Amino acid sequence: MRRAWLGLLLLTLPAWAADPSLADEQQAQVEALRGEVAGQIQLQAFDLLDELVHGWTQQPPFPLDTAVVLAEVSVPVGFGSGLQALVENHFAALAINNPRTRVKLVHCPQCTASVVHSGARGTIIARGVDQPEALARAGALTASRHALFLDFEAEGASLVLRTRITSLEPALPIVYARTLSTSTSSAALLRSGERLKSAAEARQEYLEALQGRGTFVVPLRLGVRTYASGDGTVRVPPFLWLQLGAEAALSQARAWTASFSVGASWAPQLHTGLLVQTRISRLLSGSVASLTHPDVYAYVGGSIISISGQSALLFRDRVPDLQDVLAGTQGTAPRTTFGAIQVGLEVRVKNRIAAGAYLESMPTMNNAPALGTYLDTGILQFQSVGAEVSFCF
Amino acid sequence: MDILLILLLLPFGYFAQRAYDPSPGITRSRTEARNLDCVRTSQADAHERFPGLVPAPAARGTLSQVDAVTCSRRIMSYGERPAQDEVILSSLRQSVGTLTQAAAAIAGENVRWHVDAFYPSQPVAAKISVAARMDLAERGHRVSDRVPVLAAGDIAVLGALPPREAYPLACKRYFAEHSLSDGDAFLALMIVDAQETQLHAGLCLAGTWRWLR
Repeated sequence: MRRAWLGLLLLTLPAWAADPSLADEQQAQVEALRGEVAGQIQLQAFDLLDELVHGWTQQPPFPLDTAVVLAEVSVPVGFGSGLQALVENHFAALAINNPRTRVKLVHCPQCTASVVHSGARGTIIARGVDQPEALARAGALTASRHALFLDFEAEGASLVLRTRITSLEPALPIVYARTLSTSTSSAALLRSGERLKSAAEARQEYLEALQGRGTFVVPLRLGVRTYASGDGTVRVPPFLWLQLGAEAALSQARAWTASFSVGASWAPQLHTGLLVQTRISRLLSGSVASLTHPDVYAYVGGSIISISGQSALLFRDRVPDLQDVLAGTQGTAPRTTFGAIQVGLEVRVKNRIAAGAYLESMPTMNNAPALGTYLDTGILQFQSVGAEVSFCF
Repeated sequence: MDILLILLLLPFGYFAQRAYDPSPGITRSRTEARNLDCVRTSQADAHERFPGLVPAPAARGTLSQVDAVTCSRRIMSYGERPAQDEVILSSLRQSVGTLTQAAAAIAGENVRWHVDAFYPSQPVAAKISVAARMDLAERGHRVSDRVPVLAAGDIAVLGALPPREAYPLACKRYFAEHSLSDGDAFLALMIVDAQETQLHAGLCLAGTWRWLR
C-alpha cells in the first residue's frame, strides 16, 4: 500500500514541476500578503499621524502660525513610495483640517531637491534642507525656516513614528522631537481626520461600546419547526412560533449567555400552542463577541410545549381515530404537553439580528407513530428540525 | 453513521481552543509561530490593554493565579528583509537608547550633539542615526541635524584603515578641519564586523575618541 502511494506521488511530481502557473500563484500570494501587510501598516501609520496632530492641536509646537516644509517622509525599510505618498497625503489633509496646530505646510521644491554648493571648503552635493546656507543664498528660505521629518519604522510588532522639526539655520538644530509607537495587536483607532480624538478618548469610546452592549437584551424570535414523518399515515404539519423573552450575558465578553422566553403558535382550526424555553449559549467564533463581525453561538435548550387542538392528537402514542376527531369538533379540544431538548447553532450580527437552526428531541414522543426521527444518536432521538430568526432589543 | 458523526464533531472543541494557542501545531505552522512576538502578563495588565478580550480579575481574588500571553504578529515577517537589518531594526529603540544614555552621561549637558551611523545599508544607517538623534533630543539635549563631513582625501585614507584605528583618526580630523568645535559632541553608531548584529558606538569629544561599546 505504501509503495502504491509513493508510486502515485512520483507519477504526479512531474506534473507539478511542469505547471507554469505555480510561480504565478506564489507570486499572487506574495502580492496578496504584501498588500495585507501594507494595509495594516497604513492604518497604523495613519493612527500615529492622527495622534501626532491631535497632540499638536492641544500643545502646538509653535506659539504662532509657522510655515513648515515637509522635508521627508521615510517609510519602513522594505516599503516603497506608494506608502510614502499615502502617508504624505494623509498628513497634509490633517494639517489643513486642523489649523490649531499652528503648522502651515508650504511648498519648497528647492528644500527637498539636491543642491550643489561650492565654497572655500569644497563642493557639497546635498538636499536643500541639509544646506540652509545654500538655500538662503538662493533666496529659497523666504517662505519657510523649518523643516519637518516624519520617519516610520517597523520594529518587531510595533510601528514607530519619529517626528522632528529642524530649524533651517546653519547649525540645523532640532527644535521639536517626538516619538510615538503603537502595536499591531491593538486595532487602529480610525479616528476621523476632522474631529481628532486623543488615544485616551478613543479608548474610552471603545470601552463604552463594549459596556454599552448591556447585560440584558430582549430577543424576539420567529421560527418554524418541522417534524419527521412517522409511519406515513399522518404527518405533523410545520408549526410557526413567535417567542419573546430575555437574554442575559453571563460574562462581560458575552462568551456565555442564558435566555428565557415564552412563545405562542396558532394555526386556524388546527392548534394553539404555548411554549416556555430556556437556553444556554456558548460563543464559538472567538473568546469575545465581536462588534464588527458575526458571532457564532452553539446552544442547548430545554422547553415545555403545550398544544391544544386537532394537531395535539398527533403527539400521542397512537394514531388518532375518528372518535378522537369527533371529540375535538364537539368542543372538547384535545391537549398535550411534553418536554423537548434543543441543540442548535446561531449566527448573530452585532448582537442585533440572528439566524439559527436546531435539532429538537422530544423524549416522551419516541413512540408516537406520527413522528419519525431525523437523527438518532442512540441516547437522544431528534424528531424535529427548526429554524428561526431573532431580533434583539 | 450517527456515532461516526459524533466522533467527527468531538475534536471541534479542541481545535477551537487550539486557534488561540501561539505554539506551533495543527492550526499554526512553525513559521507563523516564529513571527509572533509574545509576552506573558498578568490578567490585570492584559485586561488593561485588551479590555474586550480579557475579563477583569475578580475583585476578591482567585485561588489560582491567571496569566495572559499576548501575542502580536510581527509587521515584517522573518525573511522579508535581510536578517542582519531585521535584527538591528527590531531592537532599534532599546539598543540606541542604551548607547545614547551612556554617551550623554560622559559628555554632560553643555554640548551640541551630532550623530551619524555607519552601516552597509544606507536606509538602515539613516534609521539608526535618526533614532539616536531623536532619543537625545527627547532627553532634552541640544541636537543638530547636521552631520560633520571630512574631505575626500581623509575618507580615502580612513577607508584603508581597520575600524579600531579609523574612527579615532576621523575624530581628530573632524576637529582639525573645524567640522566640529569644542562645544560639539559627535556620536557615531556602527557595526565593526560585517557579519555582526550588535551596534557599537563611539564618542568623539574635543578631538578624543572613546568607545562606548
